[in-house]
Amino acid sequence: MSEKLANEAVVDRAIASIGGLRVDAGEVYLRDGQSTSVEVRDGALENAITRGERGIGVRVLRGGHVGFAYSSDLSPDGIEDCVTAARDIASVTEPDADVSIATRKIDSPDLKLYEAGIDGRSVPERTNVALGVERAAKDVDPRISGFRKTTYSDGTLTTIVATTAGVRGTYRETYFSVGTSAVATAGEERQIGYFGDAKRQYAALDAAAIGKRSAELAIGKLGARPFKTQTLPIVLDPYMGMSLLGALVPLFSADAVIKGKSLFAGKIGSAVASDRVTIVDDARTPGALRSAPFDGEGVATTTRTLVEKGVLRGYLSSLKTAKKMDASPTGNARRGSYAMPSRIGAANFHLASGPSTPESLVNGLARSLRITSLLNLHTIDPISGEFSLGATGDYLEKGERQYPVQGITIAGNLTTLLSSITGVANDLTFGASGLGSPTFVISELSIGGA
Amino acid sequence: MALTEQDAARALRTALSRGGEWAELFWERSNVVTLTLDDNKLEDAITGVDQGAGIRVTSGDRGVYANGNVNDGDDLLAIAGRAAAAIADDGGVREVTAISADELPRPSVVRIDPRTVPIERKVALMKVANERARAYDPRVHQVTILYRESVQDVVVANSDGRFRKDTRTRLVFGVQVTAKQGDVLESAYKAKAGTEGFEMLTEDAVRETTDIAARLAVQNVAADPAPAGTYTVVLSSEAGGTLIHESVGHGLEADLNLKGMSVYSGRLGQKVASELITVLDDGTDPGKRGTQAMDDEGTQTHRTVLIENGILKTYLSDKKHARKLGIPESGNGRRESFRHLPICRMTTTLIKPGTSDPKDILASVKDGIFVKGMGGGQVDVVSGNFAFEITECYRIRDGKQAEPLRGATLVGQGPKLMSEIDMVGSDLGYSVGTCGKDGQGAPVSDAQPTLRIPSVVVGGKVKQVSA
Repeated sequence: MSEKLANEAVVDRAIASIGGLRVDAGEVYLRDGQSTSVEVRDGALENAITRGERGIGVRVLRGGHVGFAYSSDLSPDGIEDCVTAARDIASVTEPDADVSIATRKIDSPDLKLYEAGIDGRSVPERTNVALGVERAAKDVDPRISGFRKTTYSDGTLTTIVATTAGVRGTYRETYFSVGTSAVATAGEERQIGYFGDAKRQYAALDAAAIGKRSAELAIGKLGARPFKTQTLPIVLDPYMGMSLLGALVPLFSADAVIKGKSLFAGKIGSAVASDRVTIVDDARTPGALRSAPFDGEGVATTTRTLVEKGVLRGYLSSLKTAKKMDASPTGNARRGSYAMPSRIGAANFHLASGPSTPESLVNGLARSLRITSLLNLHTIDPISGEFSLGATGDYLEKGERQYPVQGITIAGNLTTLLSSITGVANDLTFGASGLGSPTFVISELSIGGA
Repeated sequence: MALTEQDAARALRTALSRGGEWAELFWERSNVVTLTLDDNKLEDAITGVDQGAGIRVTSGDRGVYANGNVNDGDDLLAIAGRAAAAIADDGGVREVTAISADELPRPSVVRIDPRTVPIERKVALMKVANERARAYDPRVHQVTILYRESVQDVVVANSDGRFRKDTRTRLVFGVQVTAKQGDVLESAYKAKAGTEGFEMLTEDAVRETTDIAARLAVQNVAADPAPAGTYTVVLSSEAGGTLIHESVGHGLEADLNLKGMSVYSGRLGQKVASELITVLDDGTDPGKRGTQAMDDEGTQTHRTVLIENGILKTYLSDKKHARKLGIPESGNGRRESFRHLPICRMTTTLIKPGTSDPKDILASVKDGIFVKGMGGGQVDVVSGNFAFEITECYRIRDGKQAEPLRGATLVGQGPKLMSEIDMVGSDLGYSVGTCGKDGQGAPVSDAQPTLRIPSVVVGGKVKQVSA
């Protein structure tokens, strides 16, 4: 049987191995994840999936050249090969004097990211959560005829970052998630409603609320009509709001700003949104989904106001972009996995709550369209800011729902969208993506239809 | 490690040692190199090996799947043991049929293994693209070039005695160009991608890909927005096949149809499209991005007729759903990696060319939109509502291509749109993409002839009428 090194020992070996090469510096990132998922169908367990994965990503610096290699072979030879591969591939990159590794010591404050006890949870217990979601959905309306898929997952992750400059940090996380897509049937017509949520604590997952919302979304679309081409005020509830806000994150990337690929380049101190808009990136709220003590480069995370009453205050930075901008790194070099180098990303990125109730915002609008689902969010171009999306919605008059609509598009530009936010409600909610949004109103968007 | 028949047999026996009826092993090793040239600099160079396995055991309709990284025989047996413990159904020990390897023909020829090409050659091609894009027009503001090679070695073995290997060599050469005019930024992306060797990336191919991205970015930055509303649309074959992928393909995946979750559920033998429409999925088309010798259950890939002259013939199946629906195994059970169970996926999906001259199709439209580039799309298979991105389009005036318009989205409902298409061209154009479903990505390609859609919703900007 081959030797299995513990996580800390793997990182020690990799750092020692980098030290044995003729390079300037290096960084090792280890992630060890164990997870279980269950999929249910027709009231019974269909698939139970267990996953165990461990790997390292190694970054090596040599005269300003950077090389990156990853491996899941964590035997002594595998680690050595990975470090050597990182050094070898560094030779093809072009030197950049601003590339560096973390040198400032980090602490690991307890951000309540971990809950003990996952291992003791049985498959039937997990299955029951998923079945509970489906029961709650069915209880909403007899027209709920089935589910496209209901999946419950949980897992633990251990992350270690270490650099040859002596920086080292580790933290553990847990997550619990469940999602479903209820299908509503009326005669020949069928409509689907997807909803899911994720939490750091098992008990925080509200299966009944998740099932109920999925069912209400599906039922609400029954009888949807075509809609005339026009411009109208648009109402986005927290979940629809989050999905559009997510597309804004790349505009704040210092890397995109430096390369001229962000519409926010050169706009610090200028108005980029209506004065109702305050956007915060928060990495330190205990128990929040995207909270972390440090980022993928081993830099301490922060909580920052990016847009304050419409005025741009800051960008999201890595070590390299901070140096290029002569600013402090913000701890936003995030890692998707050990196999990917850090990329600039947000933590718990959100639009701050406003003063009004959602009802009072919407009731003041003579005619408006409340969006209930969006298709093609992945095609929003963060460089141009242009978006054109498939949508379903509810047509409202003075906030009263008249009828659902489908087969429409909404289109605009993210920058004009930000400056057209005329109302923000007080119902800030965070979703499974880690993004947060209250209900908000856009004064006008183009709606394509009949 | 290289997985042998003996390793596989031992793992399958372990997997079935505590019950269960059927077991399957999926093993893979993927060697990946990714290079990024951005802002005139070869900025990122990444190399890595992803090696692991997943073992599935089924008992009736219930299945368990255990997976993880595998570096030696002990790792593999540990995964098999986890699967066995999870299925434990008191069904006794099942025999594993003697494992015997067989070879499937490889539809794609790899003349030059990209791993044998010096990395400097790859970087040199990226620099050719970067310089060419920058020289295209003064409005070109930023250029990003991506090179990605992936060689995936796969072994599938199961308790029926199957032991099959496949190697998928895939390359992507992507060019993203950002153009700037005043305060307006526009970007365009074009990729050359296939299941082929490095011979695919000739300098000509690199130049052609680069020119398309540069031309589009510059064209879009100066173009007026597309209008919003209902229009007659001509989809050029040059635009490739996102429409067929979204509007029909997903709805024909067998897993969705078993659950009655598709607008095409229960409609085999019925008319679901215009007689002009014949739809195929072809996993055997040499070199295409969706092509492979077998799917990820070891089933040989096929050229499957899904819709013939408007009549629905069959669905895209994996083993489980072929059995449950009583349809042939079409070789469409695919998975992103060993981390996932296979699901029903497309490979290369296309509408067969018809008889109309593409020029006549354009000439037949007095006022409409001519779409020459499509990007990503999405469909809600339950209602059939879909959307796809238009990356290049023009106004049609009096049967002629007129001024360019900035991209938008086109939305519709699959079966309705497919029954309304009233002209099908004699040409065929391909596009490539990575399709997402249930959190898994799959390399795919699509193709279409030039098509006329009499009336469909285009999602651009509403024209402001001055008071």
